[in-house]
Amino acid sequence: MEYFIQLVIEGLATGSIYGALALAIVLVNRATGLINFAQGGMAVLSTFVAYALFDAGAPLALAILGAIVFAFALGAVLERVIVRPFERGDPDTAVVVTIGLFVLLGGVAAFFFGYEPRQFPSFFGLETLNIAGVFVSLRSIGTIVVLALVVVLLQVLFRGTKLGLAMRAVADNPVSASLSGLPVSWLLMIGWGLASVLGVIAGVLVAPQLFVSPGMLDFVLVYALAAAILGGLDSPQGAVIAAWFIGVIENLAGAYIDIVGNDLKIAVPFVVMIIILIVRPQGLFGRKVVVRV
Amino acid sequence: MTLLELEDVTASYGHAQVLHGISFRVGENAAAGILGANGAGKTTTLRAISGMVATGGKITYDGRDITGYRPDKVAALGIAHVPEGRGTLGDLSVRDNLRVGAYLRKDRKGVAADLDLCLDLFPNLRERIGSNASALSGGEQQMLAIARAIMAKPRLILLDEASLGLAPSTAQRVYQAIRRLRSEQGVAMVVVEQNAMLAFSVVDHAIVLETGKTSLSGSRDELMGLDEVRRAYLGG
Amino acid sequence: MKSLTRLTTNRWVRLAIGVAVAALLIVLPLISSKFVNYQLSLMAVFAVAILGLNIVMGYTGQVSLGQSAFLGLGAYIAAYGVTEGWPIPLIFLLCAVVPAIVGLIIALAAARLRGLALAMVTIALPIIGIPLAKRFREFTGGSQGTTVRWLSAPEWNEGFLENDQWRYYVVVIIAALMFLLARNLVRGRMGRAFRIVKENEAVAISIGISPYRYKVLAFTIASLFGGVAGFLYLGVVQYTSPETMSFHTSINMVAAMVIGGSASILGTIFAAIYFVLVPNLANEINPSLTALFSGAILLAVLFLVPGGVVSLPRRIAQVLRSLRRRGNAPARDAETPQNPSDGALAPTATGPKSTEKNRKRQGQ
Repeated sequence: MEYFIQLVIEGLATGSIYGALALAIVLVNRATGLINFAQGGMAVLSTFVAYALFDAGAPLALAILGAIVFAFALGAVLERVIVRPFERGDPDTAVVVTIGLFVLLGGVAAFFFGYEPRQFPSFFGLETLNIAGVFVSLRSIGTIVVLALVVVLLQVLFRGTKLGLAMRAVADNPVSASLSGLPVSWLLMIGWGLASVLGVIAGVLVAPQLFVSPGMLDFVLVYALAAAILGGLDSPQGAVIAAWFIGVIENLAGAYIDIVGNDLKIAVPFVVMIIILIVRPQGLFGRKVVVRV
Repeated sequence: MTLLELEDVTASYGHAQVLHGISFRVGENAAAGILGANGAGKTTTLRAISGMVATGGKITYDGRDITGYRPDKVAALGIAHVPEGRGTLGDLSVRDNLRVGAYLRKDRKGVAADLDLCLDLFPNLRERIGSNASALSGGEQQMLAIARAIMAKPRLILLDEASLGLAPSTAQRVYQAIRRLRSEQGVAMVVVEQNAMLAFSVVDHAIVLETGKTSLSGSRDELMGLDEVRRAYLGG
Repeated sequence: MKSLTRLTTNRWVRLAIGVAVAALLIVLPLISSKFVNYQLSLMAVFAVAILGLNIVMGYTGQVSLGQSAFLGLGAYIAAYGVTEGWPIPLIFLLCAVVPAIVGLIIALAAARLRGLALAMVTIALPIIGIPLAKRFREFTGGSQGTTVRWLSAPEWNEGFLENDQWRYYVVVIIAALMFLLARNLVRGRMGRAFRIVKENEAVAISIGISPYRYKVLAFTIASLFGGVAGFLYLGVVQYTSPETMSFHTSINMVAAMVIGGSASILGTIFAAIYFVLVPNLANEINPSLTALFSGAILLAVLFLVPGGVVSLPRRIAQVLRSLRRRGNAPARDAETPQNPSDGALAPTATGPKSTEKNRKRQGQ
């Protein structure tokens, strides 16, 4: 039983990392109607900034803060300069644009930092706690708490502030929103900037485990995309729940189902995703089921 | 005192020119109508004023040349556009739609007063204040769209086909509210309307468009007296 | 420019170009180094894989990020067949049929999904495929992969063609046949149906074309082409490993397809040349620049030549024409949303086609 709980908590922790990136994908999809494959590349580049700042002697918290500022600017600029002309156009072309960005940003990171993985310290200690016989690392708990905080902050932003109201309005109908005087162009940039910040949070959370390298988030991105789609693409809560679900189910299947094992556990969430999508093409929490309040 | 003046305004979508030179003016506190058949360019005229299409000629508002201003800048000057198809924000609640309407305003008290005014004008909205806009009926959505425009405390409202798709009695109720808005608040309006009877119940003067050009213009009574207008638009 | 277009539509000119290209393809391996022949053969291999991708994505408009999985599957089947000593025609047949069946089964389920969900399912294929390949060690050689020696120059032609030349001819002939097949497919009724499905599914339904059936068909054909490309891949490289399936290969194929020209047979050839050549060139300059170059080129193409390299002549003519027109036309106000970058504010600036797709994508 203790082992089971341990597996679930670890699964929730990995799921939280997928969840942060999945939230970014959902945010961008709601604001601009795009699936941003470059989300991973943006996060990697920003994580490298955190690495570079830390390497240059900045305290970890400051390095992460710097990376967050960089990520925001990067997201905003990319939206304005590269993505804007393709928004609300042919979605297939837009997907290819973000794929191009994904390749490009990975290339930029590789150019400046090379392909060699670099170590990155954890914001949380390395201790493992023993809670009633269940061993959980501080890092796992920290990761889950960070994601929970992010979800609460986003909720406050979108439900409780004028900026959030404006962003929801623009996501809903940009043309109509502009008729009420909303600065649509700025709001779209802010939306991308915020999404990019969520990405770097995922990057910094996962960096101590995976090390920092241009390809570090490739798999996280694919999991995050799966979570976003499973969650219904326009539902932040759905994305987080789906991400947790993926993290947990992967961990449990890897540990308890012999034929799956550690090597094939990556296949489990995708098989589940495919089955769920076939039964419910709109995702678990897609527009058709959840009436948002 | 002229509030809005269009001089020889042209507009095009891509390479297709839709307006070929339209001129009219709207005085402060006045209401002008734009009549015409489908595709004559009525909606495009409103879009030209709001900066939603590529525009030539000259549009002056409150003494300022606003030709080619972006929609949000036009809105910031006090022009509220109730677009064709209503443009309500479906995933937002009625209250949030109204808050979006007041987005540019800083006077909290004024906003609260106007919210009361809107709910007074459209009692249906009061009952549905927490529902998503997409859950409203067509008539309620039209009321919401107009209320959202009111929330901006505009000096000029551009009203596009407010009766489209509504049952006659609902359309009457919507126009009743619009008339009240005119008489109590003195907001200037440009009203695009298929149903000329409804339009004439609000406007003091009007123009008639034919394939992107002004074919007739005059005061309400002049136009209502013309045989061609009666035949084409008033069913008699 | 117009005279050039007229020239290329002339039957005899086209025939002459065709003969010249064929002659070049025949002579080239005889005068080139082993390395060059290897690269040329690789281009033919990936031309077939990208051709399949183009049928499902370029012609039918279904984003597929899983083509590398079929390439890998084909290569593994060929490798297993070779080590078991099966006759080559049988191997070829299996390399075409098995991936097609796998593709069919996946498509039967996945083609119900719209655009991006479909992209996700396809991206999952290489992700699931790689650990599977590692797991079934006895068939695949696990992470080490399988090395084979086959498709060598036969004994009767001892001293005439070298192995690399022989393999080149085999690969290019098969690739040419696949291209002929694809060309006939997309020019016929099926191709028309694909295009209508891509353009507007509602229209397709209204004229009796089932979007679902044609998406499944396109996906199956793409898988078949992927499998055949896998067969050819093993012929040229003589080795395959889980890396063949890597989802980066899929992504790079998509990039190459768009750069070459989507929904274009000729564009597919450019795509294959790009796919093989550009990473090589970038590697020459600086290996850490490869990805940077690929991304930058892809974005540049999307911005400047949305139709891909194949549309370059048309695009240049178009730009020249609009420049000339701008010279004559009365100046427009610069702040009007004519500018594509303000597209979000000008729904009318995007065509009705794209708005229709948009609505679909948002699931409304």
